[in-house]
Amino acid sequence: MIAMGIAIEVHNLVKRYVTKERRGLIKGKKRVVEALKGISFSVKYGEIVGLLGPNGAGKTTTIKILATLLLPDEGEALVEGYDVVKEANEVRKRIGLMLTVEKGFYGKLTGRENLEYFAALYNIPKKIARKRIDILMHLLELDKLGASDRLFEEFSLGMKARLALARALLRDPPVLLLDEPTLGLDPPSARKIRSLVRELAKNGKAILYTTHNMFEAEIVCDRILLIDNGVIVAQGTPQELKDRIPKLRTIELSLLARDVTPALEALKSIELINDVKVLQSDEMTILKILTSKPEDIVDDVIQVITKHGYEIKRLRIEEPTLEDVFVYITSRTS
Amino acid sequence: MVFLDVIRAEMKFVYADIFRRRALLLMMVLWPYLMTLFIVFLGSTLGSIQVFINRFGVNPVPFFIIGSFILLSTLGVLDDIMWKPLYDEMVGVLPYILSSPINRILYYVALPIPRLLIVFLVGMTSVLPILYLFYGLKGILLTFVTMLLASFAALVFTPFVIVCAMLTYIIGGESWRALNVIRPMLFILLGIFYPRWLLPLTLFIVSNILPAAPVVELIQRILLNIVASQGEVLSLLGLAIALGFLYLAPARRLVSSWERRKIREGVRI
Repeated sequence: MIAMGIAIEVHNLVKRYVTKERRGLIKGKKRVVEALKGISFSVKYGEIVGLLGPNGAGKTTTIKILATLLLPDEGEALVEGYDVVKEANEVRKRIGLMLTVEKGFYGKLTGRENLEYFAALYNIPKKIARKRIDILMHLLELDKLGASDRLFEEFSLGMKARLALARALLRDPPVLLLDEPTLGLDPPSARKIRSLVRELAKNGKAILYTTHNMFEAEIVCDRILLIDNGVIVAQGTPQELKDRIPKLRTIELSLLARDVTPALEALKSIELINDVKVLQSDEMTILKILTSKPEDIVDDVIQVITKHGYEIKRLRIEEPTLEDVFVYITSRTS
Repeated sequence: MVFLDVIRAEMKFVYADIFRRRALLLMMVLWPYLMTLFIVFLGSTLGSIQVFINRFGVNPVPFFIIGSFILLSTLGVLDDIMWKPLYDEMVGVLPYILSSPINRILYYVALPIPRLLIVFLVGMTSVLPILYLFYGLKGILLTFVTMLLASFAALVFTPFVIVCAMLTYIIGGESWRALNVIRPMLFILLGIFYPRWLLPLTLFIVSNILPAAPVVELIQRILLNIVASQGEVLSLLGLAIALGFLYLAPARRLVSSWERRKIREGVRI
């Protein structure tokens, strides 16, 4: 029985890879890498859940398991109530998949021919496939870009991404698994993909969206799962996640000086300053001062800097981003 | 219906591949001529064409042009089935094929059919003119009979090739090198370029496991005018069909085993 409104359910998913480390010409040693360490989450219909994390965090492994392209070692994953291991064929009928953008099609076929090829593999009757391809070509503006009659090998990366999304939508599946769909795209193409993904969620599709782009996760996803080293370290809406960290903000100071060491010790002694980072350029030094109450200490900071004889070129106070949240949470868990 | 859909899909891929690479199309047309020319030239430098005619009762030119055509159609099946998953993995299409709900055995059986249709057309540019030149109007009939039989040989050969491909993938992993070992082995066992009954006894016995071998033998018997009876024709064809069907069940099982292995390791994207 499908839980009400839940399209994807993942319980304690574990995946281990066995790799072989070479030692000299003959010797080798097996090493077990735990890519997923018992993650659990769910995705509802009409919801975009972002799987956000650095490279090697376990995002693609999760997508591959849900797409029936990889067997988990432990745990359970269900798509519309069907088990990805025991009922793989039922799962396959219900998912739209978008993996790496730059590959995945035949170079000598045109955009339309490629879609027709996959429509046949997905058992879509010829007439329905044609209509559906027309709609998708129009929706993703592939017809305007001339993708219909151009060979895939001549496509730009943006066109390839749009075509990959069109393929994922060929069967109009209720569940979409999108693995870094805007990676390397130009801004217009990335924006188009993001707006379309939002539109698809409004129409009731359950979408699992992986990215390592914090900005993108913030604007696209309804809910975010922060994943690091195969563990979901935090989850919630973008705002909920930002609220989880102490209100650390940054005072950024640009100084016309190369060596600011004498001032650093004095700065660190100011109460309410959590950390000071120094970035050096040719003529300038940028100080990033992390604090929970920038308004209370900014005068003291200016005083210390001017007392040491440095000229302040620019001063600004920054709000925390999702990136700060990620760095904060992962540094605590590690 | 599903079967026809897969053929339709593969036709797009194969036709685009061949017709949009003119050099490949030209090579396919010229290949039987080049092969025949090479063998006849090599043979005539070592011996004489007349000796071949005296021994086998047929001119080597039509014999080898038909041999080249059989090679193109039967071993083309091997190339298609063993090469396609490797190519699909390289261009990143394999994950989408493995995650599609298509019936796998139908998919693999359908794979070589589009190329086979093109090979049939290539036969019109190579086998037909040569046989017409040598046998006149009878040559036209002979062309169609041999081409139909060669295509039939390729079709019954498909399940065996699937077994071969999947076993190779399961045991040794997916590799282009395996294809270069299996191709000449099957080439020798099929007895395409010499009457199969001239094979050493052990090889002749081993060659009987190949579903295409009885059909190749039949084509050669027709060409050499040594077909004994209608019963012999039917028994050779029947044997080929039976062998073809025999390999279907293991082919299905091995395709699933290979896919399971791929999924256990993780399909490369």
